[in-house]
Amino acid sequence: MRNSRVQLASRGFLLVMALGWVAIALASLEYFEPDSVAPFVVERLPVRFESLWLGALQWHVASAIVTFPLCLVLGTPWLQRRPVWHRSLGRVTGALVVAVLVPSGIVLSFEAKGGALVTVGFFLSAAVVLVAMVSGVASARRRDFLAHKRHMLHVTAQMSVAVTSRGLLRGFDMAGLEPEVAYTVALWIPVVASALAAEWLAGRRAFPSFAFTPSVPRSLS
Amino acid sequence: MIRSSSSFVVAFTFTLAAAAAAAPSLEAWAKARIQANLLQPLAKKEESRSRFSRAAPPPTGRRVRVLASTLSRDAKGRGFLPYAIDARYGDDEWSETYVGCIYDKTGLLFVAVGDEHRPAEFLLGKKAEPVPGVCQVAPPAERS
Repeated sequence: MRNSRVQLASRGFLLVMALGWVAIALASLEYFEPDSVAPFVVERLPVRFESLWLGALQWHVASAIVTFPLCLVLGTPWLQRRPVWHRSLGRVTGALVVAVLVPSGIVLSFEAKGGALVTVGFFLSAAVVLVAMVSGVASARRRDFLAHKRHMLHVTAQMSVAVTSRGLLRGFDMAGLEPEVAYTVALWIPVVASALAAEWLAGRRAFPSFAFTPSVPRSLS
Repeated sequence: MIRSSSSFVVAFTFTLAAAAAAAPSLEAWAKARIQANLLQPLAKKEESRSRFSRAAPPPTGRRVRVLASTLSRDAKGRGFLPYAIDARYGDDEWSETYVGCIYDKTGLLFVAVGDEHRPAEFLLGKKAEPVPGVCQVAPPAERS
């Protein structure tokens, strides 16, 4: 009964994230239109090092659009039962996250809307993603799959902030909360809640990987 | 003769006064121009904006204030009027969101982005580079 509830919740999460990803991907196309400027960019300019910032924004958006669904798919039992595919896609995802997503996110965070508090929030999220991704890869190489899964859960949880944060922003907008306050709260709540949720799931004896099934031996070595 | 010429002067003065009253003031002209060429297209563009964007939600209201009733002159001697656009969310207070200037004769609109001014189409999402020297009052000696 409890397992089926967990499975249902993880499938619901996967569905919401997939829908959120589609919405974000469609909304992000405007960042790549050659002769136009996206409303978010209009709002943010002027920034120091404008070319660097604009480049970082495009790289960040593009890498997030690619890596977020990859993280979701990598967490499914379907792909986990295909170790060769899981390993190959995992390498691509890990490389993109470490080499593109995190560095570009750090560049953007210096000019974050909402000031220092939001900068710290984005920094924290980037740090969790970076540390968890590097540790996750290291634990996979050690064949410590439980640790690998825990770390990757943190990566996916932080990446889900893109969806949950925008959902909260919409809610706060409808509730009439001041945009600057809404932006800060809508970042911090998902960042902290995602880290706690990932840790809580990792602490469960048989935590799901979006409806994950077989228990994996702690170490095969 | 004297009587007919004085009635002509009176009639002419009335005509001029009526014409002046009928013609919109510079301020009213600027306001109407900014409304039509910037605020209305901006509102229309915001209607179609994705709700899943990180950009701030569109305000519930915008208003334009023309900040002078007489023209200022830039370094090239062109006359312009400074303006400000206020926005508000719900019943909040109005707050100034953009400042810029509108040029007399051409009706060209510019908006301040940091220390520079860009054509106001920038707010409508069109790529527009900063234009040096616009909207800046030049000392009389510098005007060409």
